[in-house]
Amino acid sequence: MVKLKSFMRELRKGWSGYLFIAPGYLAFLAFMLIPLLVAIGLSFYTVSFDIKAREFVGVQQYILLTKDPIFKTALLNTIEYTAVIVPVTILLALVIALLIDPLGSRAQAFFRGAFYIPGVAGGVVLSVVFLWIFNPTYGLINFALGRMGVEPVMWLASAPFSFYAVCAVVLTFTIGQPIILFQAGLAGIGPEILDAATVDGASSLQQTFYIRIPLLRPVLLFVLATQTIQVFQLWEVIYMLTGGGPYNTSTSLVYLIFQRAFIGANYGIASAMGVVLMIIIMIFTIIQLRFWNSEDV
Amino acid sequence: MTETILAQEKTRRSLEKAASLLSYLLLVMFAVTFLLPLYWMVSGSFKLQSVTMAIPPEFFPSNPTLENWTRLFTGPWPVWRWVLNSVIVSMLTVILVLLVSSMTGYGFAKKKFPGSNLLFFILLLTMFLPNQVMLIPLFLLVRSLHLTATTLGTYFAMAMPMIPSPFGIFLVKQFCASLPDELFDAARIDGASEWRIYTDIVLPLIKPAMAALAIFTFNQSWNYFMWHMVLAADKFQYTVPVGVSIISRTPAFGKMITDIGLTMAGGSFGAFFMIAFFIAFQQYFIRGITFGAVKG
Repeated sequence: MVKLKSFMRELRKGWSGYLFIAPGYLAFLAFMLIPLLVAIGLSFYTVSFDIKAREFVGVQQYILLTKDPIFKTALLNTIEYTAVIVPVTILLALVIALLIDPLGSRAQAFFRGAFYIPGVAGGVVLSVVFLWIFNPTYGLINFALGRMGVEPVMWLASAPFSFYAVCAVVLTFTIGQPIILFQAGLAGIGPEILDAATVDGASSLQQTFYIRIPLLRPVLLFVLATQTIQVFQLWEVIYMLTGGGPYNTSTSLVYLIFQRAFIGANYGIASAMGVVLMIIIMIFTIIQLRFWNSEDV
Repeated sequence: MTETILAQEKTRRSLEKAASLLSYLLLVMFAVTFLLPLYWMVSGSFKLQSVTMAIPPEFFPSNPTLENWTRLFTGPWPVWRWVLNSVIVSMLTVILVLLVSSMTGYGFAKKKFPGSNLLFFILLLTMFLPNQVMLIPLFLLVRSLHLTATTLGTYFAMAMPMIPSPFGIFLVKQFCASLPDELFDAARIDGASEWRIYTDIVLPLIKPAMAALAIFTFNQSWNYFMWHMVLAADKFQYTVPVGVSIISRTPAFGKMITDIGLTMAGGSFGAFFMIAFFIAFQQYFIRGITFGAVKG
């Protein structure tokens, strides 16, 4: 009884707190948490255009997914996209950030901007020009390759080239953010540490590998996490360039969800796929967080 | 003896000079590679169809033409309407995200109330979840409410999934946590209401975070392609990315893109606004990106 009373007092004292979080939290409930729970619910139904005509099927759609070859391909592709794009992005961004770091502040700002601009333009706009660049007969890439004596390649319509074409486009507009983060991280390394290393006779290459890159670890982990989650949700470049083809060899999980939900109106199965995607990203995040905590960064 | 040391020093210096020159060249090469697609798009928009298909390609348009741009602006596409739509949706999103994030972030940082830790934890959990999952129920909701029947409804529906921004709330909470409690206590003793404290003390102090969040949200909202495409009922409701994608998918014959010039003009038109926006607010972009990830 006393406990309840003191709890009620706490509640009354906290009224302004509840009022302040209310707008944000209500929006969060209405547009995020509840839709999320509804999506999980929908994954147990077959639903199409008429929502009222849904039918409860239990876990049957998840069983169907395990047997669906397109879903398997999409899942594997998504993992492959991540395995190719994320390491290449991080490595290249690190190199570029190290090249930018010794420049004056104006030049730094210029190059940061130059690498970030494709990203602000957005994946759709960028894909439009890549449709032309990758064109087999009058595209820039095949022209350049032709000069080197390489036969024309059907970049967007043949496997495995469409996969790598998508990778290249995604790389061009996602590299800006890691470069900025790495560069900010490098700028944050105190000059006294590097001065001390110079006095001890460490070459600038040694300083880079033994001091600067190890000190970037926290930023590196952050970039790894955000890039992985971003590439896992890749779809617009696929929509614009390949349509997932040929024969689904360049499709991704989110592109398949988009197709099933918003083109095929199969909301149930699309939700089930979404739940699988969510679980994968959740597991990945938990691993990341553990790594994060254990390293005490 | 001293001569050899001097000579060594000299070679070391010239080596360093060569290395820095080399790294500069490498950097320029990377930058050119990454900007080449954008250059190709813009220069392509000034080429005639026959030139766009010429082999070898013309690196600088020798006979620049405005034909594609004229067709873009006088054709069947209401391109300026798309810009208006994009601006309205992004502005609406920014205003709502700023309002909601600042209040909620401040509440979580400076107010003590039962359950605040749990509520914040639930919020954080969803920060990294793929939003495509939530779009399906939201789409069904929008459809059953007939929100897209009116233009205003469509604008709101397009902004809807971005309003609860766990990132924004997190950012403001971090920012507010560094403000001293004494500040608020003093204001309270002076008789300021809780709302006054928020508008007159909190908001001015968190301005840097707000500016970065605004710029970041504007860009994200502008490029929220999937949701805009799903909602836009007709060509008057398209946003810029949707319009650009539709133009690129309008073939004259077969599946090949044939109207390269027009497509490049559309792409350049679409890219222009965000790039101009970025150049104008570059420092806020950088700040928004580095907030939270890099200390200091």
